[in-house]
Amino acid sequence: MIVKFNNRDPVYVQVVRHFKEQIARGMLEPGQEVSSRRELASQLKINPNTVQRAYKEMEEQGLIYTEKNSPSKITRDEDVLHRVREELILEAVDTFVTSVRSINVPVDELLELVKEKYDHQSDEEGGSAHD
Amino acid sequence: MIEVKDIKKKFGRKQVLNGVSFTANKGEITCLIGINGVGKTTILNAIMALTPVNSGEILLDGQKVTKQSFEKITFIPDAITMIPQMTIAEAMEFMDDYYDSWNQNRATELLGFFKLKQEDKISSLSKGNTAKVNLLLGLALDVDYILMDEPFSGIDIFSREQIADVFTSHLIEGRGVIITTHEISDIEHLIDKVVLLDEGIVLKEFNSEEVRESEGKSVVDVMREVYKA
Repeated sequence: MIVKFNNRDPVYVQVVRHFKEQIARGMLEPGQEVSSRRELASQLKINPNTVQRAYKEMEEQGLIYTEKNSPSKITRDEDVLHRVREELILEAVDTFVTSVRSINVPVDELLELVKEKYDHQSDEEGGSAHD
Repeated sequence: MIEVKDIKKKFGRKQVLNGVSFTANKGEITCLIGINGVGKTTILNAIMALTPVNSGEILLDGQKVTKQSFEKITFIPDAITMIPQMTIAEAMEFMDDYYDSWNQNRATELLGFFKLKQEDKISSLSKGNTAKVNLLLGLALDVDYILMDEPFSGIDIFSREQIADVFTSHLIEGRGVIITTHEISDIEHLIDKVVLLDEGIVLKEFNSEEVRESEGKSVVDVMREVYKA
């Protein structure tokens, strides 16, 4: 697992985000066990204290849960899972809208372009997956 | 916790440390940063009582450093201090004789981790591998605190990565580490705390995640501000 961290956002926030993306994409499934603190630290090459902090944060947000004496697991709470996906999509759309608004493009033209690009890209991805 | 309180040190007329204070916690990696000649190594030597200070105080878990402390804290200097004719196995035996806290299981694990052969003579090793042996000899001690002087300097990128991996493993976990460096890029995500030094004083002491969180700055951003100011 290779995650590129930037140096300016708190590393623990980036770890939480990484988990949210994994959950939204279905790479991490509800009820799936997550790596231990130490395992994740060495996989991501970051400080175990930072992983600890990220896990604490995820626990508070309800993304993972820990039962006594067993590894933490991804939540099965549908609401939370739904919210994660929603949050990531909204965030991406917000960023897009902000940057595109400065060019003043009519929304219809924009939607057409987005659709075209999106189909094109997923075609490419679909194609390469079969290679 | 290691507490360095207002230490001053002169070499002849040159004031190398001019009232340095900082703390390093157990379970955290504290990084002393500063250009060459700023007194980083002198601070580590002072903590280990290898050099007397002119004034100030250094406490290890609330107590002064004595001979007994060396089962609790260790120093990995920037160059290996073993006799070059020794093999790695002999060097490990030497450490075992000398320290009660020597942990051969951990040493064996480190040999594997660094892909070193214990029958090799220290004098025959490459620079990178010599540095790894040096690190091994320090890390295999069951001590609470480890001081490392420039573990990354002059070492190739793959060896640096290997050494950096040690920091995220159980080999370091739970211990207090002070590391000196002048190149931060390899370990920016690994360190808990940064102490910026210049001309014998501490310019700034901060927690790296906190400045990212509250100010959106990287460690290098803060360094740029502090040193260019």
